Amino acid sequence: MGVTETGRASIPEEIPLPLEVRVHGRGGQGGVTCAKLIATIYAEQGLHVQTFGDYGSERTGAPIRAFARVDTVPIRNHNKVYRPHHLVVLDAALLGDDVLDGAEPGAVVLLNTARGLEPFADRHGRFRFAAVDATAIARRHGIGTSAVVIINTTLAGAYARAMGLPWEAVERAFAVQGLARDLPAAREAWDAVVSRAADEGEAAPVRRAVPAPNVIGIAEHVEDLPNPLRTGSWRTQMPLYLSHAAPCNAGCPAGNDVVGFVQALATGGVEAAARVLFRTQPLPSVCGRVCPAPCMSACNRGAYDGAVHIRGLERWIGDHVDAEGVRPPRAANPRRVAVVGSGPAGLGAAFALASLGHDVEIFEGESCLGGVLRTGIPAYRLPEEVLDRDIGRILALGVTARTGTFLDAAAIADLAATRDAVIVAAGLQRLTGLEAPGVLLPGVLQGIRFLDDVKRGAAPRLAGHVVVAGGGNTAVDCARTALRLGAASVTIAYRRGRKEMPAIGPEVDEAVAEGVKLALHRQPVRVLGEGRVQSLELAEVELGEPDASGRRRPVVTGRTAAIPCDALLLALGQAADLSIVPALPNLFTAGDMATGDGTVTHALGSGRRAAARVLASLDGEPDPVLPRPDLDSLVAPAHVRFSHFHVEPPHAERHRIGAHALGFDEVNRGLDGPSEASRCFSCGACTHCDTCMLYCPEGVIHRVGQGYRVDEAFCKGCGMCVAECPRRAMAMVQEASAR
Amino acid sequence: MSGQLLSANHAAAIGAALAGRANRTGRGFVSGVYPITPSTECMELLCNQEIEKGHVVRVESEHSAMAVCIGGAAGGARTFTTSSSNGLAFMAENVVAAALLRLPVVMVAANRTLGPPWNIWADHGDTLMLRDTGWIQMYCADNQEVLDTVLCAFRLAEDRRILLPALVCQEAFVLSHTMARTHVPTQDEVDRFLPPLDLPGRLVGTARIVGGLTVPQTTEVHRAQHHQAMGRFFEVYREVQDAFEAVFGRRPADPVVPYRADDADVLVVSMGTIGSTVERAVDVAREKGIRLGALRVRTFRPFPAELLAAAFRGRPRIAVIDRNVSLGFGGVLWGEARGLADPGAVVQGYMIGIGGGDVRPEHVLALAEDVASRQAAGAPVLMEAGA
Repeated sequence: MGVTETGRASIPEEIPLPLEVRVHGRGGQGGVTCAKLIATIYAEQGLHVQTFGDYGSERTGAPIRAFARVDTVPIRNHNKVYRPHHLVVLDAALLGDDVLDGAEPGAVVLLNTARGLEPFADRHGRFRFAAVDATAIARRHGIGTSAVVIINTTLAGAYARAMGLPWEAVERAFAVQGLARDLPAAREAWDAVVSRAADEGEAAPVRRAVPAPNVIGIAEHVEDLPNPLRTGSWRTQMPLYLSHAAPCNAGCPAGNDVVGFVQALATGGVEAAARVLFRTQPLPSVCGRVCPAPCMSACNRGAYDGAVHIRGLERWIGDHVDAEGVRPPRAANPRRVAVVGSGPAGLGAAFALASLGHDVEIFEGESCLGGVLRTGIPAYRLPEEVLDRDIGRILALGVTARTGTFLDAAAIADLAATRDAVIVAAGLQRLTGLEAPGVLLPGVLQGIRFLDDVKRGAAPRLAGHVVVAGGGNTAVDCARTALRLGAASVTIAYRRGRKEMPAIGPEVDEAVAEGVKLALHRQPVRVLGEGRVQSLELAEVELGEPDASGRRRPVVTGRTAAIPCDALLLALGQAADLSIVPALPNLFTAGDMATGDGTVTHALGSGRRAAARVLASLDGEPDPVLPRPDLDSLVAPAHVRFSHFHVEPPHAERHRIGAHALGFDEVNRGLDGPSEASRCFSCGACTHCDTCMLYCPEGVIHRVGQGYRVDEAFCKGCGMCVAECPRRAMAMVQEASAR
Repeated sequence: MSGQLLSANHAAAIGAALAGRANRTGRGFVSGVYPITPSTECMELLCNQEIEKGHVVRVESEHSAMAVCIGGAAGGARTFTTSSSNGLAFMAENVVAAALLRLPVVMVAANRTLGPPWNIWADHGDTLMLRDTGWIQMYCADNQEVLDTVLCAFRLAEDRRILLPALVCQEAFVLSHTMARTHVPTQDEVDRFLPPLDLPGRLVGTARIVGGLTVPQTTEVHRAQHHQAMGRFFEVYREVQDAFEAVFGRRPADPVVPYRADDADVLVVSMGTIGSTVERAVDVAREKGIRLGALRVRTFRPFPAELLAAAFRGRPRIAVIDRNVSLGFGGVLWGEARGLADPGAVVQGYMIGIGGGDVRPEHVLALAEDVASRQAAGAPVLMEAGA
């Protein structure tokens, strides 16, 4: 191949040959392709070209260079370009001595800038300058992504115009490189580029002598060397250490900091965990036994190898913590509040108020505190001494208890007159009956009364076949208690299926293991017997359309069958008796009376909220809104890096089986240790696991105190730390300049 | 002006694909590939080629990539792969196997610095690590040479007088990623240049094990045969050059490429793209009246000792440039070339461009001046080029 005369003739005389072009950009902007396009434009004019990139750390934002050489003869040398005739700068923030290094007066600098030529006239007068806002043009044409606009093709159009190359050569080059799609943007830049001539007579540039960096011997360090590439203005987003809401916390009706106490248990032990738990939870030993644990249903580990056994851990803390309740300092403006009812809602309210140093009296109709916890939950599930211990801790806060005092509406009104406020948490006093012929026969009992009698030592004698109607915890408690009292066999008749039973799942499992039979999709429709119940007619129930709660509505059919029955226990639900609550401004309700949610944990949360409402009301403030996390800030399974965690199935609680042998000794002996806590992912809360630090490709994340610091001067915003964070304790946030 | 604007990586892949198709009337083409910067572009393009009776297998490691080539070649297929640096290190066991089984695998290496710490830039240390594995090694200086050498490598490797694997070397980025006009031959031309491979003793029918246990005397004979095959290279290569020129109209460069060397006071010897950059320095020096000349060593294995000795005759000062360090010794090329000069001649070693340092004509002029001022050779000099 000889000299290409047509090639020389096809480009403007001002362009020297051999020509050397240097492109400066940042990883992600497409600088190498820009140099390639420029070379292709000349190649399409019949000239020899050579083009290559100076690949750097190949990460977004790292400064990169690319080169093009043009000549009429084949180009032999393979070194980089040190005396560029043309400089193409893809990011105006890069423009500095190192970019201009080696360029002689009269060299052409093409700059991607939104600021036009003006800002560069004073400092760089010796160069011919051309400017175009390639970023805006490329963004308008949708080249790249919303975060990173790729401007190489746009800038190539501006280059051709600034250097006086024909548009047809641009079109051919884009076609050769398969980039014809970007031609409209290149054409817009071709039209928009502005330039000015170089000033004459200025001194040659003074080249900065850059001393070679001092290289540390490889044998002298084991850590990676700090990366010398400053970020400049390229970054569009930054990582931030940001806690997100764990699903367990969001799912706890009592408002407990679940991930907080589990992590505290894992890292600080029982006392540390108890300090977190006691902020909101006065009954850890109770809830650790009887809570349906919505936290566990929400646990992200459930999508991996089984939910963390949170309930078991709560029990472990409650049973093993040494801390006695300590009387808190009195509030600055102590309030005097009466709490009527000592079930979980009343205890929750009393605990919340007393913890803040207010004066609280509890009024309980029964002889012992505890409400339904005392009367309605059998001892084999919740031993008396466990309940006493939790309640003792509440009383130690200075709460006064008056037991054996049933208060009617008038008494409550009197109380309200002499107290700052009264919280009524009397629970559900009305029992749902069965509408069926024969329910008045002896042997048909309300389950809740039956359980209460058993707790008082006034248990009826049972024999033969006992049927329990219902599917909640009371039904299961009745069934298992009946077995313990000598029933030969027990059947639970429930109108929906096994999955629909509101009772705690493992409790049902235990009941079945103890011998309780389930008659599902069955409803008692007639009680038969002479003088007392002797048999029961059960109707088949079909599931119809979903009702308001989303559960399918049961439809009783005409298909019936009679079974022998020596006692029928009704556990069909309860309702509040609101007639005891007079309408007074300083009177508040809490618990099932107010919400009817029917679990200890809901009642505790309700009691705590009632306490907050009371205080806000007495201070003349609006009702406090307890924050609930929004869905976007929740940690979902997809946010958890499962690969960071070993597969380790949940630890099981130790259950003893055998209703007759055990009697009313506690069946569930709990976890055999607190190590289950180490299974917690700590969703949304940093554990200082160092993953971010280890994965940072720039090595610019450092440990600082109890957390980390990201060196903003060097962070390229690649997002690897956030992507690798096992638990969503970080987030990428848009830079203010990129918003 | 004809030719396409191609990177050397793409030129290599296109060359391999053309050669692969040329064996469609034989046992076809097989390639095992695994990516590693800076050779990835080559395997990517190869994966996207339509090759009649061809199969490019994407495997999980370089070791397996070569294993695929070994299996394919043993079955009589034309075989090709590409890798670089630590990928070659991982592949090494099977690199040895391909050679000792005398299988005509062709591999393109993008010469990259061995790590850690990781460095993706040019250095000849990776392929020189494989110096004694029994492969032919050729080093290229520009894009066209990469494509042409790949085609020549198949013909050489598959020649019955040789039957050895061949390694075609191109430096990381400064060549692998550099785009320049490259003439791409037609399939018809390549078909005429590369006859179908007819491997003697290839596996047919029943599968069997190759390379079982042997005894000392057998190995002695095998090594002698292998060494003799290497010795026939230069004779066969001349024939390949002739055949290539007859088909394509251009002559592949000699094993040793002289540049204005005949009357040189100082001779600069080098390999790869540095040899090409040296030519620019020679022109600059000549303009100043300095009689500088150059030799580019294109074929490193077999070592062109006789050609170098002839070119060294009468040359009093020789600078040998190595883009490698044989640690505890010096440059590998210098080590092999220094005994070939006239008695009393100064043969000084310079190691430059290590780890991708950018070797410029200025560096060559500086070291030429240094060797001109010496009365005797000293210890090899390691120069920093930086980038």
